This record gives sequence, structure tokens and C-alpha cells, in this order.
Amino acid sequence: MGLLKIADREFASRLFVGTGKFASNALMKEAIEASGTQMVTVALRRVDIENENDNMLAAIDRKRYQLLPNTSGARDANEAVRLSRLARAASGIAWIKLEVTPDPYYLLPDGEETLKAAKTLVEDGFIVLPYINADPILAKKLQDIGCATVMPLASPIGSNQGMKTKASIEIIIKQATVPVVVDAGLGAPSHAAEAMEMGADAVLVNTAIAAADDPVQMALAFKMATEAGRIAYETGLAPESQTASASSPLTGFLR
Amino acid sequence: MSAVLKINGTEKTFDEGIPSNLSELLTALEIDAATVVAEIDGKIIERKDFEKTALNETQSIELIRFVGGG
Repeated sequence: MGLLKIADREFASRLFVGTGKFASNALMKEAIEASGTQMVTVALRRVDIENENDNMLAAIDRKRYQLLPNTSGARDANEAVRLSRLARAASGIAWIKLEVTPDPYYLLPDGEETLKAAKTLVEDGFIVLPYINADPILAKKLQDIGCATVMPLASPIGSNQGMKTKASIEIIIKQATVPVVVDAGLGAPSHAAEAMEMGADAVLVNTAIAAADDPVQMALAFKMATEAGRIAYETGLAPESQTASASSPLTGFLR
Repeated sequence: MSAVLKINGTEKTFDEGIPSNLSELLTALEIDAATVVAEIDGKIIERKDFEKTALNETQSIELIRFVGGG
């Protein structure tokens, strides 16, 4: 399996894992380990000044896992840029998963504001990984202005619906000059395998792992599916046909 | 003399007066400075500058940290 290169970093694992929704930090740590991932997403929120704050970063070995802070909660470009700069100050690195989601019901990304924020952040030296709807035109604009990847959604965040936007993601992959990371909505390992078989460069999974009955086993299942899909893509699938083609010899029948 | 600071959108009263700098504020709030990033009136304060950043009642202070997210 070839390495995935994003900006100046190489990744052996093509599965990125989100750290939200885990029942405990210990469980999150174990699931991350089982997933084989080398990059995990995190969010920024206000400190609770009245109660004790949980330090989830203590559960993430930053020598093994690259942090990818997101801008979740941003409703427009200005908020996303502000969050990105705070994330850079907090993490010490300039990698950002750019997401601008003004609508809390479907959490669909605002393409116009995402593009606007991406321009500012690229100019400011950020490695920008934008979360977008599966819009090939927008994906092209984002790669043209210097984003490090494009991250089209498979279906709405946390919905576990799988590859609803498959046809558009195929176009994005065809025209991509940067890695394509399928993000959001991948609910089963088979969805991840499907994305990888199509030629996606990586997948990002959170809810499907964190909300599983056994997140550690599910993380392992996603690891295997992502690898299987990638190997299949690199190998090239055997051609499809409209009629049967016998696998067993058509001679020597016992009749 | 008690004083009030605006932190994360809420007003917090300090009976002993305002902590003299950002570092002391975090100590007073029992927050590990290594886990937070601060913003005062929209300007990010680097961790190394916490100690030399004075506070006053007119400021809007934001204390932010990483949490789990996708």
C-alpha cells in the first residue's frame, strides 16, 4: 500500500479518526490505537470555568498521532479563521480541518464561506483540509487556491448513511490534484471500503466508531476495510460484465 | 476589594481582587495553563505571554481548550 502524502507529511494509514462522542478518554485511546490511524481530529471549545475540565489531549500521544484541529461550530468564514488561529496557538501546528456549518440541523458546509476562509488561511500559512459538500467545482477551486486536500462528505455528519454522494465524489477524485479524503457519514466499514475502492485517498470516521457497541473492535474493522479498499484500488478491480462468466471449467461435466 | 472579570461570556467575581495576570487567573481557576489557549478582546495571547498579560474589568477574556471532535 502506497503512502499518503499531505503537504509535507506522509501517512501509512489512510484512516483518520475523530475523537468526539467516546464514552471515555480511555476508550478513545484504545480505539485510536486499534484503528492504526496516524491523524486524529479534535475540536476547540470554551473552558468550563466553574467545573473541572477533562484534558483529553493527555490521552493522545502526539508523537504517534498528528493532531488535526477542526473549526466545528464556525458559522461563517470569520469565525472559522478565528478558530483556526486559536487552534494553531493551542496545538503549535498550522494544520486545520476547515468546516463552516451554519445550519445546525443537517450540518451541511457553506461552500462560499469555506472558500473565503480557505483563501485567508492558505495566505496565512495554514495547511488547510476543507470539509465540503461533494461539489466538484468547489473542490477544484479549493485545490487551485492551495488547499492541502479536499474532504467531500459522503452523507451528513454523524448520519451513518454511507456514500450518498458517490457520483459526485467520483468526479472530484477524477479531477483532483490533491488527496481526496471522504469525510462524514461513513457508517459501516463497507462504506469506507467503497470509498477507498473508488480511489479516495483516505477516509475520516468518528461517529461510526465512537458510537459502536465496541468502539475498539469497530476501529479495527474500519482499519481493515480501509486497507482492503485501498489495496483493491491499487490492484485494479476485475472488469464487470452484463453476463455470467463461469469461474469453474466448462468441460468435463459428469453427465 | 472584589472585582469582576468577563470570562467566556460570563461574569466571574473575584473577592480578593483581580488576579494580577493571566497566569494567576488560571491558577485561581485551577486550570492547567498547558491545556488552554487564551484570547483577550479578540487577540490571541501566546502561552509564553500569560505571565506578563495584565487583566482588567473592561476586557473580554476567552479561555479555550481542545475537546473530542470529528
